[in-house]
Amino acid sequence: MKASALMLNPELLEIILLSLEVSGIALAIATAAGLPLGAFIGLKRFPGRGVIISLMNTFMGLPPVVVGLFLYLILSRSGPLGFMGLLYTPSAMIIAQSALAFPIVISLSHSAIISVDPVIRQAALSLGATQFQVTAAVIHEARYGILSAVVAAFGRVTAEVGAILIVGGNIAGFTRVMTTTIALETDKGNFELALALGVVLLAISLAINTALHVMQKKGMAR
Amino acid sequence: MLKHFIALILFAGMLASVNASAQTEIICASTTSTENSGLFGHILPVFEKKTGIKVKVVARGTGAAIEIGRRGDADVAFVHAKEQELKAVAEGFFVNRHDVMYNDFVVIGPANDPAGIKGIKATAGAFRKIAASSIPFVSRGDNSGTHTKELSIWKKAGIEPKGRNWYLEVGQGMEKTQRVANEKRAYTLTDRGTWLATKDKDKLEMVVVLEGDPILFNQYGVMAVNPQKHKHVKYKEAMEFINWLISKEGQQAIAAFKDKNGNQLFIPDAK
Amino acid sequence: MSLKPTARHIWKNYDGNPVLKDCSFSFEKNGIYVLTGPNGSGKSTFLRICALLEKPDKGEVEYSSDGNPVSNGIELKRRITLVLPRVGVFNTTVFKNVAYGLRIRGMQKREMESRVDAMLEFVGLIHKRDQNALTLSSGETQRLGIARALAIGPETLFLDEPTASVDVKNTEIIENIILTMGRKGGSTVVVTTHDREQAERLNGCLLVMKDGRIDGAGPPS
Repeated sequence: MKASALMLNPELLEIILLSLEVSGIALAIATAAGLPLGAFIGLKRFPGRGVIISLMNTFMGLPPVVVGLFLYLILSRSGPLGFMGLLYTPSAMIIAQSALAFPIVISLSHSAIISVDPVIRQAALSLGATQFQVTAAVIHEARYGILSAVVAAFGRVTAEVGAILIVGGNIAGFTRVMTTTIALETDKGNFELALALGVVLLAISLAINTALHVMQKKGMAR
Repeated sequence: MLKHFIALILFAGMLASVNASAQTEIICASTTSTENSGLFGHILPVFEKKTGIKVKVVARGTGAAIEIGRRGDADVAFVHAKEQELKAVAEGFFVNRHDVMYNDFVVIGPANDPAGIKGIKATAGAFRKIAASSIPFVSRGDNSGTHTKELSIWKKAGIEPKGRNWYLEVGQGMEKTQRVANEKRAYTLTDRGTWLATKDKDKLEMVVVLEGDPILFNQYGVMAVNPQKHKHVKYKEAMEFINWLISKEGQQAIAAFKDKNGNQLFIPDAK
Repeated sequence: MSLKPTARHIWKNYDGNPVLKDCSFSFEKNGIYVLTGPNGSGKSTFLRICALLEKPDKGEVEYSSDGNPVSNGIELKRRITLVLPRVGVFNTTVFKNVAYGLRIRGMQKREMESRVDAMLEFVGLIHKRDQNALTLSSGETQRLGIARALAIGPETLFLDEPTASVDVKNTEIIENIILTMGRKGGSTVVVTTHDREQAERLNGCLLVMKDGRIDGAGPPS
């Protein structure tokens, strides 16, 4: 009862919306940059490719607080990008989450593309596809795997707290999102509020995983 | 799928431009005790309504808050460790430091007072007794104003607590530290504001075992980041905030702030 | 108009093993050619090289149209096609699979629909039009591959072991499709098979691959 009453609170709604906004934009950026790169790494053979792949796999497990620390030092007024005045803004949080999502998008979309049956490329070629069209066909064939990559990245960024707490500052009404609010309210002993937000986060994560499951099922039609 | 991505990116661009729209805002580096007690929630809307300046609060320990200001990542610092503040002013990182208000620290411990602190007047003596009894003591351990105060008392008591098995450094905010002390049946040093605001809510089975020692006086000060160190800071707005805090109106707003049990948590003392 | 491939002195090695050794052949007539030979004799390799999907180590494949040589490029590649032994269906509907070759050529939607539907009728898959192609049986998959190839109207069509993994009923259907194409005329159809009886049933010009070369050539009596 109390939790549902809390949900109607406009301040909370703002927090939830900001969470989705920050994570959504971060995801869009990471996807726009990571997908072409993941596709490129999956489709082309070039020197250093193996190094990039293992680097990206390592970065997938990057501790968010470490990302937060590095970004803090870079974005701080005393840091190299301080002149941009990004620290303690939603933009800084978006940058942090993009940095966390980027390797996931690259790595998983790369796996999705290399797991496409090589015969698809042959089939497209035999039907008169240009190199570009062959690439498009392979990417299209990997689309469910790529979507899964994007969804997995979204899952990671929405659940993240360490990095955005450091670079966002958890400022009320400005950079306070679900996870940082949960951390703060738990500190303050407002377990009801923290729990209510936790339920929202769980619901989002459940929705994401359901979507992922449906997509994977669709990807394996046979 | 591509279409959706393009739409998303355009959307992102739009939002970014919305974020860029200018309202006068300043960043205030402050402490968990002021933020979590609800003081800012009470006084900032009054200031905002009067001046149109939005104050965004980044709440950390006093040490971190001063560091944030030193790096130029805030426009104003509102903290409680006078020695550290004066040092940072002397180094040229801050200007126009003013006393704003005070509360006091109290030593709290388990209701049965296992180390027998009640009745002792001098805090340093009480700390010596806690150390001798090996009853746990929980420290903020986070460079905050409270932590700084606690360390100065240990120093006065002639005891180096770090590394002793009864000394627990939690590295957390005040309220969480109190809760840890409660769980561990330990003593801790807290500020009266946080104590009054949270003891019932957190169901703390603890009592104040020592108060009133002059060493426990907790002065809050405000200071502006030196615009000569960091050109981008909003010095004018920061000074507006500082001048309001120490004005009659600001001081009254602080005095009027009560916790939900009706206790006044901070006593204004700007000169 | 007819498009004829000629293979000249083709050499091809795989991992150091020579598969094709100075293999030459000129496809001069319209109609069906049946290329037989034991497994691993190089039939598939020869077909892929003739279909310009693979480059020979040495030698060349040249196409001519009414006696005039045609330069190798995407334009030429779009006039020929090869149905792979493993068809390589796209994870989408049967319709979209067959439409692929037309779509990448930029054909108008309405024309494409009627062409694809006609092809699906021809191979007997019209009732599965909107089903996901991955759900088809192996015989149906092979027919899908043929429909997808025929949709682009190839002047030279290569079919690599089209009935290798297909049941008797589907084999009959596929053989009838090939025979119909042969009767239509105007294009060259090259089929590989290791089934001698099938080679006879297809009633085309019989070729035998042996020791990396095309051995005998001539119409069956």
